[in-house]
Amino acid sequence: MAAVLVCDVGVAVTLVESATVATVGSEAEPGRRQPARDLAPIALVDLLDRLLGSGVVVAGDVVVSLAGVDLVEISLHLMISSVRAEMAESGRTTRG
Amino acid sequence: MPRSGKTGGVQARKATPETGRYLYAVCRGVDTESLRTVRGIEDQPLEVVEHLDLVALVSTVPLSSFGEEALRSNLEDLAWLETAVRSHDAVVHAASALAPTAPMRLATICFDDHAVRARLREWYISLTHVLDRVEGCSEWSVKVLSPPAASSSPTVDARPSSGAEYLRRKKAAAAERADTTESAVASAGLIYEQLSGRARASRQLPHQDPRLSGHEGTMVLNAAFLVSDAEARSFADLIGLLADEHLGLLVDGRGPWPPYSFAMLG
Repeated sequence: MAAVLVCDVGVAVTLVESATVATVGSEAEPGRRQPARDLAPIALVDLLDRLLGSGVVVAGDVVVSLAGVDLVEISLHLMISSVRAEMAESGRTTRG
Repeated sequence: MPRSGKTGGVQARKATPETGRYLYAVCRGVDTESLRTVRGIEDQPLEVVEHLDLVALVSTVPLSSFGEEALRSNLEDLAWLETAVRSHDAVVHAASALAPTAPMRLATICFDDHAVRARLREWYISLTHVLDRVEGCSEWSVKVLSPPAASSSPTVDARPSSGAEYLRRKKAAAAERADTTESAVASAGLIYEQLSGRARASRQLPHQDPRLSGHEGTMVLNAAFLVSDAEARSFADLIGLLADEHLGLLVDGRGPWPPYSFAMLG
């Protein structure tokens, strides 16, 4: 199968037969920072990959940070459970 | 764009504070006037804390929902988590569009502006390195998926002539599936190598859980690339070429994004 996933603004995903690549957003403007560049939106699951797993980690006299990997893993695990519960719930609604 | 006063916070430490300062990102040379319309978590106004040429983007959050205990339970609430993640990302997106930006992890919260400024001072050199690294660059995501095995191939349509024939076919199908995954992993490795060659930096992230991402088949690559904006177009073209070369796979390229995966200190 000749297929590339073409993303439509980071949310809807369509399967197409032609091999066109998915680039969202405008053309980059070489060497220019102003005016604002157009950045593409990010799907929730991709944001979670990034916001829970990387980025600058703050410690010290910070009240709260998610530096503890355990916390993130526990949360993601529970989140998956809640997603499944929600999916099951909507499945019942659809059938009923 | 309001600038935080230099005082404040010292008194707050004596009692248990009720609010904290949520830190979204640290930028350099950002036109803060352009961020005036951006709101933070819970629709709070975005404010800046400065140290030399660094600008931290902050807003006030109640510790009743962002304190350590509250966070533990709130993070398990998907709707709450999504709202927080989206608010965080809105600020990071707005800033990254304007200037070099180092995004913070979700829920990076300081006592007060004094603590925020102390971090900027302490991490000045590291933050400067991060900002140098990401300046003029964006993040691109490339995922490779091995599609679910087709339920039948043309030669298997006929009914098996015997039990032995049936078993032979079943075994062949299993071997084919194993081959498919193995070759998909190998192809993903090649794709990653080629794209890395054209990026300033690259990272592999853990493969996503299909229950969260909704994808079908097997994810064999979840990679992030830091690409200079000047080369964004040719990088996107290369993703297309690689997709053409690997027709049995699904190649999902997205970007440009803020450089979330390339803001680690140190």
